[in-house]
Amino acid sequence: MSLSATPLTPEVVSKDGNAMVLSMGPQHPSTHGVLQIMLEIEGENIVKAEPEIGYLHTGIEKNCEAQFWSTAQTNVERMDYLAPSNNAFCYALAVEKLLGITSDIPERAQLIRVLNAELTRIASHCVWLGTGGIDLGALSVFFYTFDLRENILDLQESSGGARMHPNYIRVGGVNGDLPDGYAERLDALIEKFPGRMRDLRALLQANPILQDRMIDVGIMTPEDAVQWNVTGPSLRASGVAYDVRKAYPYSGYETYDFDVPTREEGDSYARFLVRLDEMEESMRIVEQVRDRLRKTPGPVMIDDTKVAPPPKETIALSMEALIHHFKYMTEGFRVPPGDVYQATESPRGELAYYIVSDGGNRPYRVRTRPPSMYNLQSLKGMAPGNLIADLVVMIGSLDPVFGEVDR
Amino acid sequence: MPSTQSPPLLGGAIDPTAVRPPIDDAIIERVEPSRVHDRLAQLKAEGYTMLLDAGAADYPQRAPRFDVVYHLLKMPLRKSSVTEVGRPQRYRLLCGVPEERAILPTATDLWKSADWAEREIFDLFGITFEGHPDLRRIQMPNDWEGYPLRKDYPLRGPARERSPRPAFALKTNVNAGTPPSGRTLEALQAQIAKARNA
Amino acid sequence: MEVGPGQFFLAKLDDVARWAQSSSVWPLTMGLACCAIEMMSVTSAEYDIARLGSEVFRPSPRQADLMIVSGRVAQKMGPVVKRLYDQMADPKWVISMGACASSGGVFDNYAVVQGVDTIIPVDVYVPGCPPTPDGLLYAVNLIQQQIREGGRGGLLARA
Repeated sequence: MSLSATPLTPEVVSKDGNAMVLSMGPQHPSTHGVLQIMLEIEGENIVKAEPEIGYLHTGIEKNCEAQFWSTAQTNVERMDYLAPSNNAFCYALAVEKLLGITSDIPERAQLIRVLNAELTRIASHCVWLGTGGIDLGALSVFFYTFDLRENILDLQESSGGARMHPNYIRVGGVNGDLPDGYAERLDALIEKFPGRMRDLRALLQANPILQDRMIDVGIMTPEDAVQWNVTGPSLRASGVAYDVRKAYPYSGYETYDFDVPTREEGDSYARFLVRLDEMEESMRIVEQVRDRLRKTPGPVMIDDTKVAPPPKETIALSMEALIHHFKYMTEGFRVPPGDVYQATESPRGELAYYIVSDGGNRPYRVRTRPPSMYNLQSLKGMAPGNLIADLVVMIGSLDPVFGEVDR
Repeated sequence: MPSTQSPPLLGGAIDPTAVRPPIDDAIIERVEPSRVHDRLAQLKAEGYTMLLDAGAADYPQRAPRFDVVYHLLKMPLRKSSVTEVGRPQRYRLLCGVPEERAILPTATDLWKSADWAEREIFDLFGITFEGHPDLRRIQMPNDWEGYPLRKDYPLRGPARERSPRPAFALKTNVNAGTPPSGRTLEALQAQIAKARNA
Repeated sequence: MEVGPGQFFLAKLDDVARWAQSSSVWPLTMGLACCAIEMMSVTSAEYDIARLGSEVFRPSPRQADLMIVSGRVAQKMGPVVKRLYDQMADPKWVISMGACASSGGVFDNYAVVQGVDTIIPVDVYVPGCPPTPDGLLYAVNLIQQQIREGGRGGLLARA
């Protein structure tokens, strides 16, 4: 078997029928989570790779059916745990579509939502880069990227209350305005970012070992990528510039000035470069949001107290506010019947929710389109003919998150 | 009170997919199981090159009990820029699957990505797909019984009603025995009586 | 321990063994879900678990003595966790990190094992969803305290 790339065909005939079946995972340092891959190998060459998932199946979709629309969001946030605000964003947009209040979301809330979504995108790519480096043996990158991630998590903690899973983006807007001192810290992060990106690129991009290990490994042609339903940076590295933020803009994305980085080669190195470029594009959007936030005061939650709880200050003074608060906390709100499909661009690809409401106060069905699951499935076609070491590189370049794959 | 403990306010819409207002820009079509594979092949020939997702839903009070929903997208198959990709047309194909004959033809011959999606529908809803190369459970262990996402499957699984209550909760705690501190309700009442009589 | 008039320390061998064990607790990489990301943050420069002695996270259970169960344990993963725990050599300790590992957390349903202590014995529980890295550092401190003060560890692997 040659080291160079083979096209995505699963029929790689073994030479003399001497294959061994090895279970890689579910506990493994390089599988990025609980993934088991049943490998049929001959020496180090892979004949067949069959990923087995389900080791993190949490029943989130069924759990959501037992909770209110507002509390189901906390479950949904724990799917893609590297970019949790994005899950909440997509869910909130879908429910707002069903409620019919998409145009009533205040502008400041939309700005803050976009800010959070882009910051979590950068944070998620930081984890990808750090763990990708560890897989290859480049241990220092981990510390650089996690330091950058700490700044972002500090911002999320100050605005949302928690580092991960802040439950900050809610149906109707955002939960509370940005605190004092946030703007200064955001400015400091924007200042620090270009220097840190330069460091990261200097550490890795032209590194001959990294290039040797990543170039021409796991090539996906555009046809194969579309067949395997791959979206996100992996699809864009194959040449198809499909980004949900550009194709179906939501929450004001059409008003921002950003590019969609694309490459043509479709190998792991291309996916690596696309994600690095995406971090910089996200920071561009963050800068534009920061400038607009200064000029856009206002409410951050919709006025309709049936959908959002009334401000705490009014509860002691107004009877209606008290009643609405009581009803919201004990009964939730009702969403008109119907089904909706809402897509957003997560760091992994097109994250979408197909939400069905029967008119009650609980979600009837929350079906997630998990980008990582479909990205991961393409391993079945990409892996045969490569070495096990290449498989590690390929998993890293696809960037799966198992909370989302297994739900 | 936690949302899982209060009784649900059901909306009562038996078939939500029939009453929706037009809120999506996808072309929506409903098709019956005998025609679904041909329709998918037709749509693929028309240019809907990507099967974005195949999911299912359970409407137990409706005549075809299950709904299998295919989301398709017209994605270009070659290197394309953002303007060439544009705003691809979405298509949503809904297929009502009856409970007595929960079988559908597989879509894996059209799109390879349908593989795991159909396995997941089989695992969680019990709808089998004829012609699937490897139809077995994907999320639950191989020997699991029951189809978890059906509406008649209990949330906490077949084996338990609720999480066990901790032993230190004082009231109505018949199953947990004496709390370790010894502060039961009777002891408290005895203490009060003693203080009153003293 | 006493310092003698010359250059000698006098101490019980068991104490010295416990001091060595508590200063070099090596965790097993049992990162399952979101808590695993906070566990990775604990190894990063800001929180730095290496200064407590957990210099490396060993992927092989034979080489680790602390299992940090970080994340929700699904039904499929339960037997795997048990097998890995059995494969670890004595003395071994377990931290159940986060609400999901301690009690099932937010997910009171069919798919999540309601607390990893139904499968393996746990020494320290860390609350939070996910707990901040400070919480995990405190948990490792408590494990170190447990090792130094008695129980498992020391010269005899099983107490």
